[in-house]
Formats: sequence, structure tokens, C-alpha cells
Amino acid sequence: MNTITSIGTAPLVELRRVTRHYQIGENPVIALKGIDITIQAREFVAIWGPSGSGKSTLCNLIGMLDSPTSGTVLINGQEVNDLSDNARSELRNRTIGFVFQNFNLVPVLSALENVMLPLQIAGASSTVARERALERLTEVGLEKHVAHRPAKLSGGQQQRVAIARALVTDPALVIADEPTANLDSGNARRIIELMLNINASHGTAFVFSTHDQRLLESVKRRVLMQDGEIGSDSHPTRPAVQTRIAGGRP
Amino acid sequence: MITWFKLATRNLFRNGRRSLFTVMAIGLGFAAVNALGGFTAYIFTSLEDSYIHIQGNGHMSIFKKGFLNEGKLDPTRYLLNEEDVRVIDEVLQAHPEIRISTPELNISGLVSNGEVSTIFLASGRVSSKVDVIRSRSRTKVGNMQLFDGEPMSDETPNGLGMSQGLADQLRFKQGDTVVVMAPTVNGQINALDGQMLQTFNSPVEALEDKLMLVSLEFAQNLYDTTSVDRINVLLNDGLLTESMRATLQSELVARGLDIEIKTWNELSTFYTKVKNMFDVIFLFAFLIVFTIVVMSVVNTVGMAIMERTREIGTLRALGVKRRGIVGLFALESMLLGLFGSLVGVLLTLAVWSSIATLEPTWIPPQITRRIPLEVYLVPQEMLWSMLALLVLSLLAASLPARKAARMEIVGALGHV
Ligand SMILES: Nc1ncnc2c1ncn2[C@@H]1O[C@H](COP(=O)(O)OP(=O)(O)O)[C@@H](O)[C@H]1O
Ligand SMILES: [Mg+2]
Repeated sequence: MNTITSIGTAPLVELRRVTRHYQIGENPVIALKGIDITIQAREFVAIWGPSGSGKSTLCNLIGMLDSPTSGTVLINGQEVNDLSDNARSELRNRTIGFVFQNFNLVPVLSALENVMLPLQIAGASSTVARERALERLTEVGLEKHVAHRPAKLSGGQQQRVAIARALVTDPALVIADEPTANLDSGNARRIIELMLNINASHGTAFVFSTHDQRLLESVKRRVLMQDGEIGSDSHPTRPAVQTRIAGGRP
Repeated sequence: MITWFKLATRNLFRNGRRSLFTVMAIGLGFAAVNALGGFTAYIFTSLEDSYIHIQGNGHMSIFKKGFLNEGKLDPTRYLLNEEDVRVIDEVLQAHPEIRISTPELNISGLVSNGEVSTIFLASGRVSSKVDVIRSRSRTKVGNMQLFDGEPMSDETPNGLGMSQGLADQLRFKQGDTVVVMAPTVNGQINALDGQMLQTFNSPVEALEDKLMLVSLEFAQNLYDTTSVDRINVLLNDGLLTESMRATLQSELVARGLDIEIKTWNELSTFYTKVKNMFDVIFLFAFLIVFTIVVMSVVNTVGMAIMERTREIGTLRALGVKRRGIVGLFALESMLLGLFGSLVGVLLTLAVWSSIATLEPTWIPPQITRRIPLEVYLVPQEMLWSMLALLVLSLLAASLPARKAARMEIVGALGHV
């Protein structure tokens, strides 16, 4: 079904033969060994696997926070490797939301101001930003905590603020690298459910990583990372035909 | 924009103590520079006022051409005669910008108490006119009596004043008769009796045992001449000095006079020397403050960047560009500079008002009397320092901020 809907349009994310090496002293660490993966709009993808298997590296490359050693990353069919830092920043701001393991809220801003931030980075007026941020905070059930600074919120609440912040620009994709690692199992489950609900209601694509297999029950597409390679992909999608021709690869 | 201001201000308060120290460092530096600036302004004004008004020299003096150079050896050959003075007066009369002008004849010779005699240098002046010039003084010193004894006056043309050292040497007291001798312009020896009216202190220490003050009439009688060696000119507005010099120069030359005009700052070498010295002192003070400000801002911003590396990573992930990160830290340091300057303004005002209230006195070099010590308030200097400090804080922050903006995002996010 995914294959059919994507014909004629570029996939949201496409990685071709992507590698990422780190150099620590004399010894190269190969974090990713030639990854090929395609993610379509509206997909919910769980990346799982043991610690050190390359999940974070993969998330960072998809989110344009990092550049591959070799291979190509395409977002909406556009190669992002060669984009300038400014262009990548703008693209990130417009199309990708981030949820981090350690929440990463700006401590001096209130919950509301944190959620407003991505819109204001994009240049929106504070009136518009405030309105949209309030909607998002209501959606994640935090309308009573808008004025609180992060330090006054629990871990679960902070991660909800982070999700609201990731969603406020209506991005096509939210990347959540181990969003539940710092939460207890109850909160972790609720965060996954929240993300699934948003995926269902808004159609926002999610890529989320975890090393906790118990959180995968309700996720259809599961990508297992092993030693920098994709060990298994429960529902792989193929890149769109046109993009393959355009990319000049068989 | 408001958001970034909010973010910057709140971040400054996040480590309030550190920011406070930086603000205080900037504020103290600001106050130091401006208090010193206010003091030098007082010194410059005092020296200027002292030469122009208190010593009665006016803003400029008109000489026969060559008097100041070739005239050193044979001053009587370079005098302005009665006709010259009449023409000069005529030209000066036509200018309402001129407050007053007064002729002067400087003489030298021997002064004797009947037993011993010694060399003297005296200026012969018109007391009433010098008094007018003196009355225009704007400084506190101008209102003080700077001599002991009776004032010089047009009514007592034989009255004379003497520097204290000279009077002590010859054991002259007030009211004593003084024998003054000098060659006339024709080379004959002439002697006149004068009457001691007052003693004063020489503005130049080396002349403390040589200076005398006589009336113009006395000086001319002694030299047996009706000429003078200069005409001193006082303007209503000192700012017009340069333009008036040019105007008078051309008008006087057009009347066929071979003259030269020197302004007060050209004639008062002491002023120029002191000004140069204070400019150097001021430069040093400014460099010290400059270093302190740059170092404390670099330190504050550097620490903030270290502490907030993860936040920088987050902002970059959310789409803030590199120049946005530079801008954020630049804004923070500008605010430091601004708050620092405001503290500096308050401190400067405190220094200024406490000196104005306490009215301390001191004995500056070249004056032997206790005079009020002042620190002037110089608003435009404060404005300039504020601007300079803002730019300085900005520049000081830009280096660490640029480095912060170029950090790897992933690395910054992983920073603990
Ligand atoms: N900045 C780095 N420098 C060197 N090695 C790194 C760096 N980041 C990750 N690695 C290595 O790359 C591999 C994959 O790491 P990562 O993507 O963080 O795995 P995961 O998120 O699955 O735990 C690991 O062996 C890790 O040590
Ligand atoms: Mg990881």
C-alpha cells in the first residue's frame, strides 16, 4: 500500500548507501555500514536495537544534525548533503521536529515559550506563535502548565512539552531519539501512545528509537539495528520509481 | 526580536552573580575613565582659563611680525608704535565679537633696594582692562585673590607687584619704594621709583625670583617709548578664536600692518605640555579599562557557552542559524555592556556629586595656593564611553560566540 501511494512523489526520507565513520585516535569506528532505508510520509517507524548499534547516528543523519561519511541523504527528494548550513537550518526548522532523550527544553523559558520557539525561529509573530503553541500544549494535556519553567515540571511533562514543541511547526517528520530512556515505564508507554495518536490524527511521520523492546508492541514498522547495519525491517518501503530514475541508480 | 531579548536577559540573570561581577567591572571601568576624563576636563579648563582670563592674556595676541622669534634678542626693534596701535584698535573696534583688547609692554632690567640689585622681568599692563578680562573667568580660582597686598590700579601708575621670591631676596615689603633701572629704547640708562603694592606667585617656578608687574605707563616711561609689544584680545566666545585670528590677520595686513597673531594655546606651552601628558595618562587608563572589560566579557560569555552547550545544540536543531547563535551571545554581551555603562553613569554621578559636595582642595603644580579640586561632568564623553563599551563588549563576545556557532550540533547536544 505504501508503495502505491508513493508512486510519483518523492519519499519523505531516503538514505542510499549511507556510512558514518568516527575517528577516535588511530582507530576508526564505523557507526553505520552502508544503510539503505526509505521512509514515507505518515509512517511511524521504530528503530530498535542494542546500545551502540547506530540508532542515534541514524536519527541524526535523517534529521540533518550530522553528515554522512559517504552515501546520500534525501529529504523530500532533495539531496541535503551539499546544502549550506543556513539552508539545512531552515529545512530542519520547517520540516523536522525533534524530541530528545533528555528533553532539552530551554530552562529560562516557560513551557509555552519553549513551544513557541520553533515558530519564532521561523519568524512568526508572537501572537500567532502563542496561539499555535497553546493548541499544541492542550493537545499533549499540559494546558494548565503553560507558565511553568521546565524545572517545575516532571520528566513526563517535560517530554510532553518537547513533543508539543516538535509539532508546533506542523513538520512532516518528528525524530525522537530514545525519548523514553529517561522516563519510568508508565510515562514511557504514555509518550509512545501520544506519538501514535498524533501520527494517526495529524499524519505526522515519526521516527523514534529505543533499546526497549517492550515499547514496540503497537508499532507496525520496526527497524532493527545491529552493529551499524539494518538487521531486519518489518515493513520495508521502496523508494519511489521516479526518484530512483532521477537518482540514476538501478 | 522580543524573544531573543527575553532569552538574553533571562540568561544573564541565570548566573546573576557572574553577570553582576561583569557589570560591576564594566561600571567601575566606565566610572574610572569618566572620572579621570572629568578631572582632565577640569585641568584643561583651568589651565585655559588661567592663561586667558586669570593671567589676563586673552584669547590671542597681536605682535609685530618677528617679535616672537628674532625679537628675542632685541625686543625693542619689534614694537608696535602709536600709529600701529591706532590702526589695530580701529580694526578691532569694528568687531562686536571682541570683548576687549589691551596693550602690553614687557620689560626687563635691574631692580634695587639701594644695597643690592638683581635682574627682573616685568609686564606693563593696563590694570582696569586686565581686571575686565579677569572678571570673565568661569572657574572658582578666578574668583580667588591670587596676590597678597593691594590690587594694581590705573590710579597708581607707579605701583608695582613682585613675585614673592624676588621680594624676599631684596627684603621688600608692601609700601616700600623700589628703584627700577633699564636701558631705554635709545640705549640710555633710565631709572624710576616704584611703590610696592603686592606680592604674587610666579606661574613658573624658575621665574619666582624674577617677575614683576607694573603699569603700562610705568613700563613705557622706563623704556622712554610710546610703543607696546603686543595687543591682547579677549573674545566673547572662545570658540571663534581660530576664525577671528584669520579674519583679523587678513584685515590688519590689508591695512598695511606687518603683524602676526598667536592664539592662547600657541602661546601657552604649559597648557600644551600638560594636555599631551594627560592625553597619555588617559590613554593608559582607557587601555587598562579596555583590557578589563574585554577579559571579563570574554570570560563571562565563554563560561556561559560552556554551560549552555546543550542549549546551543538544541537551538541549532530547532533551526537557529549560526549567525543566530552569534547574535544571541552578542545580545547578551551588549546587555552586559549596557547595564555596565548605566552602573558606570551612576558611579560617575556619585563621584561627581560627592566631590561637588565635599569641595576638596589641592595645590596643583605651578600654583602655590590651595585651590578647589573639581571633577567636571562631561556628558558627551560619557556617551562616547558608553558607545565604546557596547562595541567593545560586542567584539569581545563575538570570538567565543563564533566558536560556539560552529560547534557540531550532535556533539553539542551530547554535551553534559
Ligand atoms: N561522536 C562519536 N565519536 C566516536 N564514536 C561515536 C560517536 N558517536 C557514536 N559513536 C560510536 O558509534 C557507534 C554507534 O553509536 P550510536 O549511534 O550512539 O548508537 P546507539 O544510539 O544505538 O546507542 C557506537 O559504537 C559509538 O561508540
Ligand atoms: Mg543512542
